[in-house]
This record gives sequence, C-alpha cells and structure tokens, in this order.
Amino acid sequence: MVRLLDLGLTKVSSIIFDMAGLAENTVSKAITSYQDNEVSTKNQIFESSAKLRFLQDEVSELCIELIARFQPVATDLRYIKSCMELSYVFSRFGRYAFDIITVLEILGPLELCDKSSVIRMSKLVLEMMDLGISALRLRDNSILAKIYEMEEMVDMMYRKSTRESSQIVTTNNYSDNRCNISTALILKYLERISDHACYIADSVNYIETGMASPRR
Amino acid sequence: MGNLDNSLRSSIKDEIDAISEYTKIKAETDTPTKNGILPSFKAETERNLDSELKIENPKLSIQSLKAWFSGKLALKGINLDVKENCVTALIGPSGCGKTTLLRCINRMHDLTPNATADGKIILDDLNIYDKQSDPVLIKRRMGMVFQKPNPFPTMSIYDNVAAGLKLNGIKDKNLIKDIVHDSLKGAALWEEVKNDLDKPGISLSGGQQQRLCIARALAMQPEILLMDEPTSALDPIASSKIEELMNDLKKNLTVIIVTHNMQQAARVSDYTAFMYLGELIEFGPTDQIFKYPKKELTERYISGKFG
Repeated sequence: MVRLLDLGLTKVSSIIFDMAGLAENTVSKAITSYQDNEVSTKNQIFESSAKLRFLQDEVSELCIELIARFQPVATDLRYIKSCMELSYVFSRFGRYAFDIITVLEILGPLELCDKSSVIRMSKLVLEMMDLGISALRLRDNSILAKIYEMEEMVDMMYRKSTRESSQIVTTNNYSDNRCNISTALILKYLERISDHACYIADSVNYIETGMASPRR
Repeated sequence: MGNLDNSLRSSIKDEIDAISEYTKIKAETDTPTKNGILPSFKAETERNLDSELKIENPKLSIQSLKAWFSGKLALKGINLDVKENCVTALIGPSGCGKTTLLRCINRMHDLTPNATADGKIILDDLNIYDKQSDPVLIKRRMGMVFQKPNPFPTMSIYDNVAAGLKLNGIKDKNLIKDIVHDSLKGAALWEEVKNDLDKPGISLSGGQQQRLCIARALAMQPEILLMDEPTSALDPIASSKIEELMNDLKKNLTVIIVTHNMQQAARVSDYTAFMYLGELIEFGPTDQIFKYPKKELTERYISGKFG
C-alpha cells in the first residue's frame, strides 16, 4: 500500500526535477546567447525565469501542505526541507540567466569582446549544475566533493578576473569598458551560480546524512 | 582585450581542464577533498551516529532486563537510562514490549500470573529487583496513569485524590486538604473543580478524569510518573492539556510515557526509545530520533512504512 505522503513527495520531486531541467536549459541558453550576441532570446529566458519563480512558490506551498497534513519525520522531513531550498536555488538560476541576457541587451552588441574567460567559467559552472542535479537524482553524495573542488576553481578564476578588470577599466576606450563591465558582471553571476550549485550538493548531503553544511 | 584573454594563467587553466575531465569519469566515491569539507561532514556523521547515548547520573537505569509471560520472552535484555526531570517516550508497534517495560519499572509485572523478570532496574541507588526491595515502597515512589481514566467510581473528586494518603495512614485533615489542593493544581484541574470537590469523580469529562488520575498519582509525591498511553482515549483538546501538563510536571519529576502517537512523542518527550519485538532498537534525544534516526528500522517505523 502506498503511503499518502509518498504521493505528495512524488509530486514535489516531479516539480523539482522539472525545475532542474528548466534551470539548466535557461542558464545554458543565456550563456549561448551571450556568446553569439543573440539578444532575441531575452523573452524566452524571462519567461523561463518567471516560470521557475512560479514553481518555487508551488513547491513551497506543497511542502507546507505535506508538513501540515502528514507531519513527516526523518528522511521524509529532510527531503521536504531540502526541496524548499532546492526550489529557491533553481529559481535563482533562472534569475541569473535573465541577468546575463540583460547585460547583453544593455551593453551589447559585444561581438568584439574577448569572451574566453566567461566561456571557460561557464563551462565549469554548467558542469557543476549538471553534477549537482545528477547527485540529487541518484541520491549519490559520492560526487559532491568534485562540486566543491570546482567551486574553489570558479572562485579563483573570478578573483583573478576581477583583479585584472580593475586594472584596465580606467581606459578611455568605450568598447573596452563595455567589454570589461559585461565580463565582470557575467563572471559575478556565474560565480553566484556556482555557489548555488554547491547548495544543491549541500542539500544532497543533508538528505542522505542529516548533517548540515557550513554556509559558504 | 588581450588582458582578459590572458586572464587565466595556463597553470590554472590546466587544472580546470583536468577537473572538468576528471568529473566526466565516474568518481571514485568518498575521495577526501583538499579543503576537507566533505570529510568533515562524514566525520561528524560517524561521530554522531555511531556513539552510544550515555546519560550522566540517570534517575533510573534499566540494565539487561528480561521479562517473560508464561515462559515466553517478552523483553530481551533491555538497557536504558532515564534522565531526571525529562520526559522519556517509549514507542514501537503493538506487542513490542513497551507496556511490559513500563510495568516492570514499578514492579506491576510481578502481579501478573506466570510473569517473571530478570535484570536490574536501579532507581537512584536502589535496585528495585533486589530481593530486599519492598514493592510497595517502590510503587509509592512511582505514580502510574493508564490508558483509560480510572477514578474510583464511588468516591468524590476530593476523596479520589486523598485516597492514597488515607491508605498510607495520613490522618491530618489539614495536611490532606493541602495536598489535595496542590495535587489538583499540579494536574491543572483545580480551577475547573474547586467548587465541585464533593461531586463524584466519574461525573467529570474524560480529559478531566484523566487529570484527576494524574492528581491522584501526584498526591503521593512520586519521583517518577509512568504514563501508559494516557491520551489515547481522549479528544485532541483534552490530549493537548495532558501534553502541556507533562511539560510542567517534568520540572519536579521524571516522566516515562508509552505512546502510539509518534507526533505526541515528538512533541512532548526529551528522549525517545524505539522498541521492536522485545528489543530496544534505538534510544536517543527525540530531536535526533525523529530527524536523523540511526537505524533503518527506526526510520521505517517512524515514517509509517511499517507498523
């Protein structure tokens, strides 16, 4: 016999993994748009971001309802708490994707800019998102260490790029400044996405072990 | 633009590429990270989950307790320490031995025909199963409240509370009056019955009757209060009053409660013991038992996956 709580948990899981897929696609689309100077995707990215925000509220409501109706404990309770956290994380991914495309819209066109640092970091960040979502899907906390390692690399790249940007931002060349500002902003958004990918890892660890991770 | 182009030193880039490549391969599990974030989780997990709960200076220490009914083993060597001024909940499916354990604690088990027990139950420094221990004196130190309220049917509210005192030879009417007053107050019943003390105990509602039984137990000034599913026959409002009462009572005595209501155990108890088929499966702080149980069996039971 299926527990009534399991029906609710299945529904929450389904929304969470829908959000995960949508968040990954949205971030990926924003990065590709930046790379290709394709600002026409802005509306699609905005809609995806808005949908993620809406789904976050839906997960929240559903989780509160499950707690109120079934008073879950142990793994069930930890999973529900984590789903609320994860829905926020996925919603933030959507928001950062929208921020990236907005940078392109405001400062673009940016076809003359060197985008290699953003492309390098985005490759890493997308991989972190993918690993985090896989760990969540498989409830496998053996790959979390890799995500934390990658986050350190992203931080290192971000600090280095920021230092270097600050040295050249005084130039009078308008084109250079647009490139530098857009790169700095997008690297910041990517750095935040990598932090949120770690929150996915933290949630997987919490679901599996019950141990909370230190806030980064 | 060249500045940003060269923003990554080749050594860092190589490392990134190496990590990216590395993560594509199925990771070998549990490799410690350089900064030790994940290993520290694991170390904490192991420390918390593998440690046995030790209670300093327990009020009651149950050691290797076995109990039989007609030769059938009902308790299979229970070890459990009960902390003073705390509520300890015993949970588990029907027939797991919760009530038997409770009845062993105040030696009511002895009264059942063909029932025997072996082991130690240390109350402070006294082994209550020592041959020299007097069961009557032991029962006096432990009050008991049962599933169904059982006030003495022919007695008034006042006499229900005073009965134990009178049976124990107390004749000072003023003293009895004071104790009855204090006991009814202690059971959160005084305000509801102070003008009806001469009415029969059974004229009260179910919840009030149960609190009358608690008052009756409190009148003997017990050190431990044993409660065997004290709210299972009560409505939610009456149940919540008993639960609030437990929280007050533990300031002055130690409470052990048997309950089938897991949410009640989670709400009222400081420690929870999960029993199954006569064994103590897991014992720990209630917060831990309900959020991070160590044992799979506990997890399955409290999550409603069997019962």
